Amino acid sequence: MENRPLEYDYTVAKLFMYNAIFVGLAGMLAGVVLAWQMAFPQFNYVLGMDLAEYTNFGRLRAIHTDSVIYGFVLSAIWSTWYYVGQRVLKVSMAESKFLMFIGKAHFWIYIAASLIIVVSMQLGITSSKEYSEFEWPIDAGIVILWVLWGISIFGLIGIRREKALYISIWYYIATFLAVAMLHIFNNAEIPTYFLTGGIGNWYHSVSMYAGTNDALVQWWFGHNAVAFVLTTPIVAMSYYFLPKESGQAVYSYKLSLLAFWGLMFVYLWAGGHHLLFSTVPDWMQTMGSVFSVVLILPSWGSAINMMLTMKGEWQQVASSPLIKFMVMASTFYMFSTLEGPIQAIKSVNALAHFTDWIVGHVHDGALGWVGFMVIAALYHMAPRMFKREIYSKSLMTTQFWIQTLGVILYFTSMWIAGITQGMMWRAHDEFGNLAYSFIDTVTVLHPYYTIRAIGGTLYLVGMAMFAYNMYKTMTSSRVVEESELQNATPMGA
Amino acid sequence: MNKTILAAILVTVAMLGFTYASIEMAGGLDKFLSGGDWVNMLAILGAVVLVAATTFVVTKYIRQMQNDTVGGKLADENWDGIGEYKNEAPFGWALIYFGTIIWAIWYFLAGYPVNSYSQIGEYNEDTQVHDKKFEAEFAGILKDPEKLNEMGESIFIVQCAPCHGLTADGMGGKAADLHTRISEASVKHVINNGANYLKTSFPGGMPPMLLQDPAQIDAVAKYVANGFKADDVAGKEAFTAGTCNTCHGENGEGMPMVAPKLNAMDADMVAAVLKDGKKGAIGTMPAFTNLTEVQHKAVDAYVASLSKK
Amino acid sequence: MFHWLEKRPFFFAVAVFVVIAFAGLIEILPNFAQASRPIIGAKPYSTLELTGRLVYIKNNCNACHSQLIRPFKSETDRYGHYSMSGEYAYDRPFLWGSKRTGPDLMRVGNYRTTDWHENHMMNPPEVVPGSIMPQYPWLFKNVADLDTAYAEQLVIQKVFAVPYNTELPTADGSKVTVKLADTLEGARAEALEDAKVVAADMKNQDVKDAIAAGNVPEIVALIAYLNRLK
Ligand code: HEC
Ligand code: HEC
Ligand code: HEC
Ligand code: HEM
Ligand code: HEM
Ligand SMILES: [Ca+2]
Ligand SMILES: [Ca+2]
Ligand SMILES: [Cu+2]
Repeated sequence: MENRPLEYDYTVAKLFMYNAIFVGLAGMLAGVVLAWQMAFPQFNYVLGMDLAEYTNFGRLRAIHTDSVIYGFVLSAIWSTWYYVGQRVLKVSMAESKFLMFIGKAHFWIYIAASLIIVVSMQLGITSSKEYSEFEWPIDAGIVILWVLWGISIFGLIGIRREKALYISIWYYIATFLAVAMLHIFNNAEIPTYFLTGGIGNWYHSVSMYAGTNDALVQWWFGHNAVAFVLTTPIVAMSYYFLPKESGQAVYSYKLSLLAFWGLMFVYLWAGGHHLLFSTVPDWMQTMGSVFSVVLILPSWGSAINMMLTMKGEWQQVASSPLIKFMVMASTFYMFSTLEGPIQAIKSVNALAHFTDWIVGHVHDGALGWVGFMVIAALYHMAPRMFKREIYSKSLMTTQFWIQTLGVILYFTSMWIAGITQGMMWRAHDEFGNLAYSFIDTVTVLHPYYTIRAIGGTLYLVGMAMFAYNMYKTMTSSRVVEESELQNATPMGA
Repeated sequence: MNKTILAAILVTVAMLGFTYASIEMAGGLDKFLSGGDWVNMLAILGAVVLVAATTFVVTKYIRQMQNDTVGGKLADENWDGIGEYKNEAPFGWALIYFGTIIWAIWYFLAGYPVNSYSQIGEYNEDTQVHDKKFEAEFAGILKDPEKLNEMGESIFIVQCAPCHGLTADGMGGKAADLHTRISEASVKHVINNGANYLKTSFPGGMPPMLLQDPAQIDAVAKYVANGFKADDVAGKEAFTAGTCNTCHGENGEGMPMVAPKLNAMDADMVAAVLKDGKKGAIGTMPAFTNLTEVQHKAVDAYVASLSKK
Repeated sequence: MFHWLEKRPFFFAVAVFVVIAFAGLIEILPNFAQASRPIIGAKPYSTLELTGRLVYIKNNCNACHSQLIRPFKSETDRYGHYSMSGEYAYDRPFLWGSKRTGPDLMRVGNYRTTDWHENHMMNPPEVVPGSIMPQYPWLFKNVADLDTAYAEQLVIQKVFAVPYNTELPTADGSKVTVKLADTLEGARAEALEDAKVVAADMKNQDVKDAIAAGNVPEIVALIAYLNRLK
C-alpha cells in the first residue's frame, strides 16, 4: 500500500483529550471522597452540615460513577476515535468540512449535556437506574449525541482510503451499535408532566417497565454498558496503541477474529449474572452464569493477543513506562475477566453479590484495565497531536508504580472486605441462629475501607502527575520532528 | 529458579496469606467453614483459583516476552504501519474456547432441564436440613435454663441490641432499659393515656385517667418505678386509690390475662411484647413475627434474667 | 467471509447488530408481552408513600440499601420472607440495588418504627453505634413534592391500569382500597392527613410546625414509605 504522508487533523481529538483529563481528575476525586466517607462518615459533611445534602455519599456516588464512565472514559474513547479513526482509515478530518462540523458539534453538545448532568445529579434529579440515572430530557440529548458520533464514524468510513477495516474499527462500531440499542430500551419512560396537563416537575418520568421486568431490562443494559463502554472500546485502543507504540505486528489475526465475534455473541447473554437469586426466571439466571464462564475465553483472547504481540520484546517493556501501562492493563483485563466469571457462578455469587468484592472487581477493571489503557493511549497521542515529546519519562514511571500500588491496595482490601462481609452475613451460631447483627458486619470493614481510601488516594495522586505531565507536554516540552514519531513515543528525562 | 516465576509464587502466596490472616481476624476460617457452608468454601476456592491462574498465565507470557522471538507470516494489509501475523490462535486457548461453548449448549439443552433446578426448591431443602439439624441437637434445650439463656443472649445481640443496645440499657432512652422494670415517666404515660397494645396477653387493655390528681400520679409513679417499697405508704395508698391493685395485684405481681406484672420483668411480659409490639412513652417497638417458638422462649428467658427488680 | 465483511462496513455493522441483538430478542422480548402480575396483598402506593419513594430515590438510598431478599436461610432469618416477583408489580422503577453497605430494606416496615426512623435518620451513629450511614437533617426541613408523585399516580393509573380506587384482596382475606384523589388539591389534602398520622409519633419541632402549617416535610413522606415496606 502506498504510504503518502497525510496531514491528520486532531482538533476534535484534542478537545476530547482535555476533557478526559479534567473529568478524570474530578471524577476520581469524587471516588476518593466516597472512599473516605465509607471509612470515616464525617467526610459526608466535609463542606459543613448545610451543604451535606450535596456532598453526602448517596448524591456523590452517582456523580462519581457517571463522571468517570461517561466523562473520563467516554471522552477518552472519543479522543482516540477521532485520532485512530483517521489514521487506520487513512483519511483526514480536514478533508471534510461536514465531518469536522459534526465532530465539533459532537464535542460541544457533549459538554453541555455533561454540565446538565452534573447539576441534575447534584440536585438529586435521578431515575435511580445504575449507570442510566438521567431523566428523559438528558436521555433525549444523549440520543442526539450518539447520532452525531454515528455520523462521524460512518462518514469517515465512507470516505476512507483503506479498504479493509482494522480490528480497532470493528470494536468502535460494536460500541456504537450496542450502546444505541441499550440506551433506547432501558430509557423507555413516560414523562408525567405532559400527560397530566402540567402537574409536578416537568422533567419527571416513570419507567415503562415494572418490578422484575424493569430489573431485567436494567441489567441487560447495565451489564452491557460495562461491556460496550468499559471493554470493547478499550480493546479497540489496545489493538491500535500497543502495536503502534512497540512497532510490533499484531500476533494473530485469527485470534482477533475469534475473540471479536465470540465477545459480540456471548457478552449479551451474560447480563443475568447481575440478577442471580432474584425473582427473574431461573433459566435466565442460569444463562447468565453459564455464558459468563464462556466469556473468559473471548476476553482472554484479546489479552493474550496483546501479550504475544510483545513476544521477545522484553527490553521494550522494561524500558518504556508507556508499554508497562499497556502490559499491566492487559494483565488486569485478564484478572477481572476471570474474577467476573468466578463471581458469576451461582454459589459464589450467593456470597459475593451485594458485597465489596463486587466493588473490588469493578475497580480491577476500571482502574487496572480501563484507567491504565486510557492513560497509555493519551500519552501516546499527545506528542503526535502537539508535536512535542512527553515532558518527563521519570515522572511517568513514578506515576506507573504509584498507581499500580494504588490498584493493588484497592482490590486486595475490597476482596478481603467482601469475602469477610459475605461470610459474616451467612454465619449461624452454634444454636443455628444468625451469628452477627448487621452492624457487626459494617464495623469489621473499617480497616479495609481505610486501606482502600489510601489506595484510591494514591491512584488520584498518579492522575495528578499524569495531568501535570500532559500539561507540560502540550505547552512546553521539546518540539519534535515527524520522523521521531513513528513508533516509540519520544520522552524527555 | 527464574526470577519471574519466583515473583509469581511470591505474589500468589502473599495474596492468599493476607486473605487468610484477615479472615482469621474476623472470627477464623474454621468458624465460617464449620457450619458446613460449602458456599464459603467455594468462594475461597474461587479466590485461590483466580489469583493462581492469572498469576501463572501472565507469568507464562512474560517469560515469552523475555525469552521467545516473534515470527510468522505477515498479512498483506497494514494499517497506519500496523501489520498482522497470520499466526494460528494458541491451541490450548482455542480448545478450551470451543469446549466451553459446547458445554454451554449442552448445559442449556440437557444439563439444566434434566436437573430442573429451582432456587426456591433449593431454599426449602436447605432450610429443612438446617432446622432438622438444630432441632435434633437442641431437643432438650427448653429444660436446660443455662443453655437457653445463652441462646437467648445470642439472639438478643443480633435482633434486639440494635435498639436496646448491647448492654440492654436502651441507648439513652431510645428504647426501654431492660435492666429495670419500668421508669416513672412510663408509668405516668400509661396512667394518662391508658394502654391497649398487648392485646393477645391482656385483651382488656387499661383505661386512661384512673388517677387524675397529679400528686397521686407522682406518688404511684415513684412507688411502681422503685419496685413497690413497703415503706412507701403514700405510693401504696395511691396505688389502691387508683384501683391499680385490682388488676395488677397488691404488689404489682400481675394477673394472667388481666394485667402485666409490674414489680419485675417476667418471661410472659417479654413474650407479650414480642408478640404484639409495644407503644409507650419513649417510642414504639415493633412485633417480632419471624422468631420460632424456641427462639422466643430463649429471648424471653434472657431478658427476664436481666431485670434487677 | 470475514474478510468480505471487513471490506463492507454496512454489512459488517448489520452482522454485528444481529449478533448482539439476538440475546435481547430471546431474553427480553417475551417479557414485554406480559404485564407484571401483582401477588395477592400487593397494593399500589398512596400519594404520601410514593412521595416518600421519590425522596428515597432522590437521596440515592439505593446506593447502599437493597430491596431484594434472596432465598437463603441466612437472609430470611435476617430480613423475613424471600422476595417474590409479584410483590414488585407496582415498583416503577425497581429498587433492588446492587450493594448492601447497609441492610436490606424490603421488609423494614416489619421491624422498625416511625420514632426509630426519626432518631436514626437524624443521626444514625447515635442510634446504631458504629453506623457509617450519613445524617439526613435536611429531610426534616425540605418540603416534600407531593405534586410530582400525584402526577405519576395519574399516569400509571391511565397508562398501566394501576388499580387505584379499587377493592383489592389481601392475604388474610380482607379487602383494601388505595385512594387516588380526583384533583390535585384533593391529593394534597389526603397526603396531609396521612402525614399527620405519621407525624403524631414524631418529636421533631420543625416537623410538627410544618404539618401544622399544612406542609409535609420530606422525612414524613420517607418514613411513610419505609413503614409500608413489608
Ligand atoms: C382494668 C385493669 C387495670 C387497671 C385498673 C390498671 N391497669 Fe395497668 N395495665 C392493665 C393492662 C391490661 C395493661 C397492659 C396494657 C397494654 O396492652 O399495653 C396495663 C399496663 C400497665 C403499665 C405498663 C406496663 C409496661 O410494661 O409498660 C403500667 C405502668 C400500669 N399498667 C400501671 C397501672 C397503675 C399505676 C394503675 C392504677 C392507677 C393501673 N395500672 C390500673 C390493666 C389495668
Ligand atoms: C426497633 C427497635 C426495637 C427493637 C429491634 C427491639 N425493641 Fe424492645 N423496645 C423498643 C422500644 C422503643 C421499647 C419501649 C416501648 C415503651 O415505651 O414502652 C421497647 C420495649 C421492650 C420491652 C418492654 C420493656 C418494659 O419494661 O416495658 C421488652 C421486654 C423488649 N423491648 C424486648 C425486646 C426484645 C427481646 C427484642 C428483640 C427480640 C427487642 N425488644 C427488640 C424498641 C425495640
Ligand atoms: C453510606 C451508605 C448509606 C446510605 C447512603 C444510606 N444508608 Fe441507611 N444504612 C447504612 C448502614 C451502614 C446501615 C446499618 C447501620 C445502621 O443501622 O445505621 C443503615 C441502616 C439503615 C436502616 C435500618 C435498617 C435496619 O434493618 O436496621 C434504614 C431504615 C436505613 N438505613 C434507611 C436509609 C435511607 C432511607 C437512606 C436514604 C435517605 C439511607 N438509609 C442511606 C448505610 C447507608
Ligand atoms: C468475562 C468478563 C466479566 C464477567 C463475566 C463479569 C461478571 C460480573 C459479575 C458476576 C458481577 C457482579 C454482579 C453482582 O453480583 O452484583 C460484575 C459486576 C461488575 N463488573 Fe464485571 N465481569 C466481567 C468483566 C468486567 C470488566 C472487564 C469490567 C470493566 C470495568 C467489569 C465491570 C463491572 C462493573 C462496573 C460491575 C458492577 C455492576 C453493578 O453496579 O452492580 N466487569 N461483573
Ligand atoms: C481514584 C480512583 C477511584 C476511587 C478511590 C473510587 C472509589 C469508589 C467508591 C468508594 C465507590 C463506591 C463503592 C461502594 O458503594 O461500596 C465506587 C464505585 C464505583 N466506581 Fe470508583 N473509584 C475510583 C475510580 C473509578 C474509575 C476510574 C472508574 C471507571 C472507569 C470507577 C467506576 C466505578 C463504578 C462503576 C462504581 C460502582 C460500583 C458498583 O456499583 O458495584 N471508579 N468507586
Ligand atoms: Ca432515563
Ligand atoms: Ca452497583
Ligand atoms: Cu455484568
